[in-house]
Amino acid sequence: MEYKPDESMLMAYLYGELNETEKQKLENYFELHPEELAKLKSLSDTRRVLLHVRDKEVIAPPVFVDEPGTVPLWRSSYVRFAVGMAASILFVLVAGKLLGPEINYSQGELRISFGKKPETVQPNKLTEQKVNELIEASLAKNNEQQATVRTEEQKKWMQSVTDFNSKKINALAITASQASKDQVQAFVSGLQQENLKLIKDYLQLSSADQKNYMENLLADFSGYLQEQRKQDLQFVQAKMNYLEKDNNQFKQETEQLLTGLISKPVKNNY
Amino acid sequence: MAETLLDIAMMHSDNLIARAREGDKNAQGRLVQLWYKRIYNFSFKFFFDHDLAMEVSQKTFISMHKNIAALQEISRFKSWLYTIAVNYCREETRKKKSNRSYSLSELNPGEAEESYRWEESLHRNENPERQLRHTELSDLLQQCLMQLGQEQREVVIMKEYEGLKFREIAEALNISENTVKSRMYYGLDALKKIFEQKNITQESIGYGI
Repeated sequence: MEYKPDESMLMAYLYGELNETEKQKLENYFELHPEELAKLKSLSDTRRVLLHVRDKEVIAPPVFVDEPGTVPLWRSSYVRFAVGMAASILFVLVAGKLLGPEINYSQGELRISFGKKPETVQPNKLTEQKVNELIEASLAKNNEQQATVRTEEQKKWMQSVTDFNSKKINALAITASQASKDQVQAFVSGLQQENLKLIKDYLQLSSADQKNYMENLLADFSGYLQEQRKQDLQFVQAKMNYLEKDNNQFKQETEQLLTGLISKPVKNNY
Repeated sequence: MAETLLDIAMMHSDNLIARAREGDKNAQGRLVQLWYKRIYNFSFKFFFDHDLAMEVSQKTFISMHKNIAALQEISRFKSWLYTIAVNYCREETRKKKSNRSYSLSELNPGEAEESYRWEESLHRNENPERQLRHTELSDLLQQCLMQLGQEQREVVIMKEYEGLKFREIAEALNISENTVKSRMYYGLDALKKIFEQKNITQESIGYGI
């Protein structure tokens, strides 16, 4: 069977990665098959062309090296943890000193408190019944207060009214009891005279007004009559003038007719 | 590829890795300084995007800092670091697919003089015209690389640009060595066809530069 190198063998030969035995074997093959050698040479030429691709220049970025052990002691995790714990304990101690803590354990209950011991406050349980009772008691108290206030006000008011009326009645009774019969008659006559005078004045004033009114009315009526008469006369005068004018016109026409009648027979004779 | 002092330091950093694994922050910082450029360039070639590459690099080293104590074999540090980077690259790809957003450099590549690429170039003191051609060629080849599938691209970048052995790539991607070699073969073959389509040959490149 004839030896025929594969692509792997050819590439290893091209890049000089074959051992001496294989290299010799391949070169013998190329002597028998120069076309294969030419093909490999064309690939070698391709490689030579490829070498014209140049590398690009580039600057490597700076590398910052942090040396171990350069971390200061106070920044190490152990120191920071210890300082943190110490600060917390110190804070608790200062707070305890200032606030006066008290720790009790009784009846299975641990109690930590600051300052004064809190007084135990019985829980105030409110039931519906208690609330209703409280409301009713409050309402009853309120109603009682309202009733008391109302009766007191009523009493005061009644007292003031009776005081006022009794004062008035007393004054009238005193006046009436002090007046005599003559004084009453004088008072009554005075009242009558006063009334009479008032009526008289009223009548006088009303008659004077009526008189003035009648006079004005008569004067107005006479004025009206005068005016009417004047207008009638003017009307009659106008009618008379009209009649006169008609009469004159009639007379002229009559004269013309007569003149015509007189002159007509003469013309017929000729 | 010529080895620089940095590469040599990376290859002989076993003591540094051991100290970092024991929690030495200075050693971890030194590892970041040593490997940042490699991880950034791996990510950049994977995405062809500066911002995503920075994102992945930073995440990779943060993860390294957190998890290096769990690293069992010091010799596997390299593949372990690339495993973290690849995983973040895949994560960012998933996010990018779901977000469907584009960076400015992605929308307007090729403004070589005005872009950060010009500023950051190692060869900026060269002839500007020559530098511009190099940058254009590099971007063109990077675009070809982006046409590969994700799996092939990972392998090609790790092998061609990061210099990992097939064994290390297999460890980083948690696949067999044969699978890595197979992906590499088909990846190179696909790139050869892409270069032919774009008429990119070693000769045309030499003439252009």
